[in-house]
Amino acid sequence: MALLKRKADPAAPGVHPQPLWSFRPRSDRESGDAIVANFVLHWFPAKVARASLAWGYSFWLGTASAALLLLLVLSGLPLLFLYVPSVERAYASVKDIEYVVTFGAWIRSVHRISAHLMVAVVFLHLVRVFLTGAYKNAAGGGQHREWNWVIGVVMLLLTLFLSFTGYLLPWDQLAFWAVTVGTNIASSIPLVGPQLRELMIGGREIEQATLIRFYVLHVIVLPGGLGALLAYHMWRIRKDGGLAASDLDAPPERPRPEPVVPTKTYSLLGVARGQSPVIRASALEAPDTTVNAVPDLTRRAAIVTLGTIAIVSILAVVIRSPLEEPANALLTPNPAKAPWYFLWLQEIVTDTTFRVGSFTLNGAFIGGVVLPGLLLALLTAWPWFDRSPAHAAGRWFPASRRRQNAVFLLIVVGILLLTFVGMFMRGPYWQLFWPWEAWPEIPSRI
Amino acid sequence: MSDKSDRRDFLVRLGLGAGVVGVGLQGVASLRSLVPNVSYDPPTTVKLGPPHDFPDGLKFLPDERLFVFREGKTFHAISAVCTHLGCTVRAEALPQPETAEVDGRPVRLTHRYLCPCHGSRYRGDGQNLSGPAPRPLAWYRLTVAPDDGQLVVDLADEVDRDFRLTVA
Repeated sequence: MALLKRKADPAAPGVHPQPLWSFRPRSDRESGDAIVANFVLHWFPAKVARASLAWGYSFWLGTASAALLLLLVLSGLPLLFLYVPSVERAYASVKDIEYVVTFGAWIRSVHRISAHLMVAVVFLHLVRVFLTGAYKNAAGGGQHREWNWVIGVVMLLLTLFLSFTGYLLPWDQLAFWAVTVGTNIASSIPLVGPQLRELMIGGREIEQATLIRFYVLHVIVLPGGLGALLAYHMWRIRKDGGLAASDLDAPPERPRPEPVVPTKTYSLLGVARGQSPVIRASALEAPDTTVNAVPDLTRRAAIVTLGTIAIVSILAVVIRSPLEEPANALLTPNPAKAPWYFLWLQEIVTDTTFRVGSFTLNGAFIGGVVLPGLLLALLTAWPWFDRSPAHAAGRWFPASRRRQNAVFLLIVVGILLLTFVGMFMRGPYWQLFWPWEAWPEIPSRI
Repeated sequence: MSDKSDRRDFLVRLGLGAGVVGVGLQGVASLRSLVPNVSYDPPTTVKLGPPHDFPDGLKFLPDERLFVFREGKTFHAISAVCTHLGCTVRAEALPQPETAEVDGRPVRLTHRYLCPCHGSRYRGDGQNLSGPAPRPLAWYRLTVAPDDGQLVVDLADEVDRDFRLTVA
């Protein structure tokens, strides 16, 4: 049923008289119309492979990440009005949000829980895409899924930077010492390090210039970049013929060279020339394996989005956001722990100072820059190293990708283990304790 | 190729080039504006108070992140900034004072230093013993202010570990 019907003259070709679209299309034509007539739905193709919609294939982790980003933007807006980015007032304004503003604690909690979940879900999304080889292309299909993987890695980085810049804003102890350690890691880079740190914090001391820099990054630069990349990430999925699982039932045909004909006529589903019509054609020829995007895809996307919103909203009622003591440049907390998703890095910078004779390799540089940099470079370039056959894409644990999946999982488990050690096994002065061991009494001040 | 299309080609390149140069300069200007020209950082030379106010042994000055040691009339100062990633180390008193040979002269050690961020450990004279710290803690030059006789530290002036300031 169309939401809004207008009795009007038949529209000119390419003009869509309905201001809204049909949630429950009665025909393929109406379903395709919903895609063409709607700005947001333009992300999606009119027809999608049934296999790519399966809950157990993608777990809809990308959609959940996008829903979390939406929640972060929505909950960030009121916080933007309430938070004051000044070293004198930042802490007090966050305290006000937490204890004075009506619903302030809940909004902050929604923002914080969404951020934590987003780091986790985006990471799981990456793990899923790797394990299913979803960055791979069908043979000769003219697809470029590997570039969407690269964009995804950049988006993971942006998510981490957003979290990092976000937890600085309360200007509490966690914030201050996180900036201290984080920017000193940058400072450990030979030759350019100290200048880089000065550029990051806007001086030599962590002060007002530092806070405003991280604030602007957090509220404008990074979310803007992430939003733009998200739109491109979604659009690329469509241009590459859907998720990798789509190719299993209807492999894309080889693109045929077509003569360029000047025309103003749009095809039935309003798609452009080039790669898409070819893939669309193969999809249309396989009606058993494809469904209309409206409502089959939109319904599931709505379920995932609403489910994410529901879970976060309820968790935010139960879980309060912590606020440590105000930033104190004079006293480092003991132990000073990074948030959970950076604890593996904190472990690595602890363990990678090496002495060769009188020469010392600083763990800050090895563990904070070189090792994560190499890991990141390898991750980004992996689609070009992956030599498994094209038909290994879009499946869980194919035999031909067993070895690389095992190595990948080993690295993931290693990172999780280091996170566990940092979380539960590090006590005062960053000493190792068993999780069940009591920490010794350390005077908090001297 | 005719003269006309050559000219068109040239103008297109000129336009594109001008656009790229214009946007590029804007970018350079924007980035350069973020490099501070004036430092509002606190001065590195700080007055610490009259020498006789310091107790024998160690005194921690949180504002300067500095340990000041006094042995009778001689003073020296060791930085409390961990050389690994810049957290403030904490001094822990040794149960028994020890004597160690530092740069050829005996030094009485009363404390050791521990970092809460990544677990670096330092001997009482600042020598890094274990953990990720790559260098010993810095020693800074102490002087006496000519005007009011206060102890002055220069946090930009590192000195060797045999440095001592003797106050008459």
